[in-house]
Amino acid sequence: MDLVLDYVMRGIAEVFTTSDGGFYWIPVAMVFSGLIIGIIVGATPGLNGPFAMALSLPILIWVFGVSNDALLPILGFLIGLMKGATVGGAVPAILFNTPGTPDAFLTTLDGHPMALKGQGPKALKVAHFSSVFGDTCSDMVLFMAAPVLAVLIESVLDLPEKAALIILSLSFMAAVAGNAPLKGMMVGVLGMLLALMGSTLSGNGPRMTFGIAELGNGLPLSSAILGVLIIGEVFIGIEEAARHRLAKIAPIEIRATGDNRLHWADIKRIMPVILSSTVIGTVIGALPGIGTTLAATLGYDFAKRFSKTPEKYGTGIPEGVAATEAANSSVSGANLIPVMSLGIPGNFAAVFIILAVESVGDFTLGPQVFRFTEIKEIAGYGTIINKDLVTAFAMFTLMVIGNFFNWTIGGVVMRFLGILARIPKSIMLPVVLLITLTAVYAQDGGFVAIWVVMIFGLIGYVLRRLDISILPFVIGFLLSPRLEELIRGGYSASGGDAWFLVKSPVALTFLLISVLILFFANTKKVPA
Amino acid sequence: MTASDNQKRAALDPWDIGFGVVVFIGSLLAIFVWFPNDMRSGFFHVNQIGRSEPGDAFFPTVLAATLCLLSGLQLTLSILRGSPKVAAEAQGSLTASNMKFLALFAIISIAGLTIMYALGPLTAWAMRALGLIDLEYRYLTDTAPYKYLGYVTGGFLMTTALIALTEGRLRRVSIITVLTVIIVAIVIFDKLLTNVLLPPNAEF
Repeated sequence: MDLVLDYVMRGIAEVFTTSDGGFYWIPVAMVFSGLIIGIIVGATPGLNGPFAMALSLPILIWVFGVSNDALLPILGFLIGLMKGATVGGAVPAILFNTPGTPDAFLTTLDGHPMALKGQGPKALKVAHFSSVFGDTCSDMVLFMAAPVLAVLIESVLDLPEKAALIILSLSFMAAVAGNAPLKGMMVGVLGMLLALMGSTLSGNGPRMTFGIAELGNGLPLSSAILGVLIIGEVFIGIEEAARHRLAKIAPIEIRATGDNRLHWADIKRIMPVILSSTVIGTVIGALPGIGTTLAATLGYDFAKRFSKTPEKYGTGIPEGVAATEAANSSVSGANLIPVMSLGIPGNFAAVFIILAVESVGDFTLGPQVFRFTEIKEIAGYGTIINKDLVTAFAMFTLMVIGNFFNWTIGGVVMRFLGILARIPKSIMLPVVLLITLTAVYAQDGGFVAIWVVMIFGLIGYVLRRLDISILPFVIGFLLSPRLEELIRGGYSASGGDAWFLVKSPVALTFLLISVLILFFANTKKVPA
Repeated sequence: MTASDNQKRAALDPWDIGFGVVVFIGSLLAIFVWFPNDMRSGFFHVNQIGRSEPGDAFFPTVLAATLCLLSGLQLTLSILRGSPKVAAEAQGSLTASNMKFLALFAIISIAGLTIMYALGPLTAWAMRALGLIDLEYRYLTDTAPYKYLGYVTGGFLMTTALIALTEGRLRRVSIITVLTVIIVAIVIFDKLLTNVLLPPNAEF
């Protein structure tokens, strides 16, 4: 226990001290600025957290560099951004009945009627309180669950088992993200295949480049992910905005009336709903691939089902706002459990945390992070310590700081941002496209990055139009090089045994579960 | 889901089948045409200590074979869906309206990006031909106003054209917003950040 405490204290200290022992305020300032920008982004239609994370990552790398010292300021900003965007999404949903994301649609059900009754500020306070409460609880579960899960995995899994676990995760994501599991798995494998372009492990020169010299180092990772995630969405948004321009309705000006303070009595009234939604959101968040929309739907449905007055839901009651906001916000912390313990991202925000970690310093996420190596001082050599574990606890500290800022100033910032919800998507989305193209060009250093972002944007557009989830594609793209390394390493370690993957009982079990998941996901009976 | 939706699902969906066919043929082409012509090391190769290990083609071939298998399965399920009474997977489609939008989007983007790429070098070439300057564009990529020509003109035209496509008109507020964003981007990427070039200046 002392050892654990020692690592925790070193993690906290790492956030506040420079490598030469002086006081370091930059990581805290970055969490603060990330949170404020995140709330602004969340409150702006057409923007979302993952987009802002994608765009800010290259800028952060230019500002701080790629040394180990740069990691915490960069992660601090991204963590703040992630938390802020989650909270800010409620602003347009409540004030203007314009949900920026599918889960925010459920916030409009009671949030906007509250605003129409003159209780807009109170609805925002309820949304803020519920959202930050859910997020904080979810983070606590992450702090406890990630190390335990990682230790368990590290003690049981070797190369074949880790490879099989990645395949299992991908099957699970294909089955739960979207409505077409088999096609989800197919695009996951396609993502894996495209990720192999250029790079080789044998040193025999680039592969699968069609002779294009610029692809010799592989497809630019962030351009490809940004293209499929963000630009695909921008294509869809521009098309939808163009289609609906004739049906444009001017937002109604709503004035706040009466007592809009959030009293203890109100908190007491909404607390049971917040707690149930937090549990639902956290459990869903811990499973990779299941998004905030399902959490918000289940949270709202659960609260309504067990309410003494279910008929009041949808008429503008604080419980309705609290149920959805607590549920969708409690997904975000728990979503980092598979990232921290397995190195497998479960959602889009986690993808950018992994990208940051892979681009900066020598910290790597995965089960090896949570090895509690005994700390020893050796004269003339230095300290034997698991530095990754210290960094992991520093990351947790940044999340706690983010929650502190969110509790104290997040609500105030949120209530000043109603004006942003009026920015039309018709202007915002083309501007987002221009900024993205500029950023990827500058980061990846050439027009090839611009073409990659546009082509992957087209892939994202087509997949969305065909009702196929893009999450397996992105996760496959990201995990493919690691899976290749594990499979080649496992094959070599087994002495050239082609059946090495199915000779380990654990790996075989994982693979069988993968097949069963896809089988059952694909055998939904036609309703009578 | 309504009864008519069920009937529609029970019928063969051309997009469902088309998706399977495209992936199936694509994966076969990858295994038999693309990979053999675009990789130096094969499925297995002998390393420096004489031991055989998976080559560069190993994992891509395994993935392409998996794709082939999955698409074959998807095709079979799509065709046999009626008899085992299994619900179809969700399947959207690309309509003529989507294609029209993509074509317009492609024209605007390619035109904007071409102007972004070529305007600076073309201007420098024309001015050199007229004897107004002595240098080629590659010596002017960090010199104002040449370094901004392509980015500002191409970026402005592309973005305002997309806004006009979306809104059906071009308002003064859109023009001012785009110009402001371009100025902010220049301040961030060209002035505040070092060792970073605006498009297309890193190409020359």
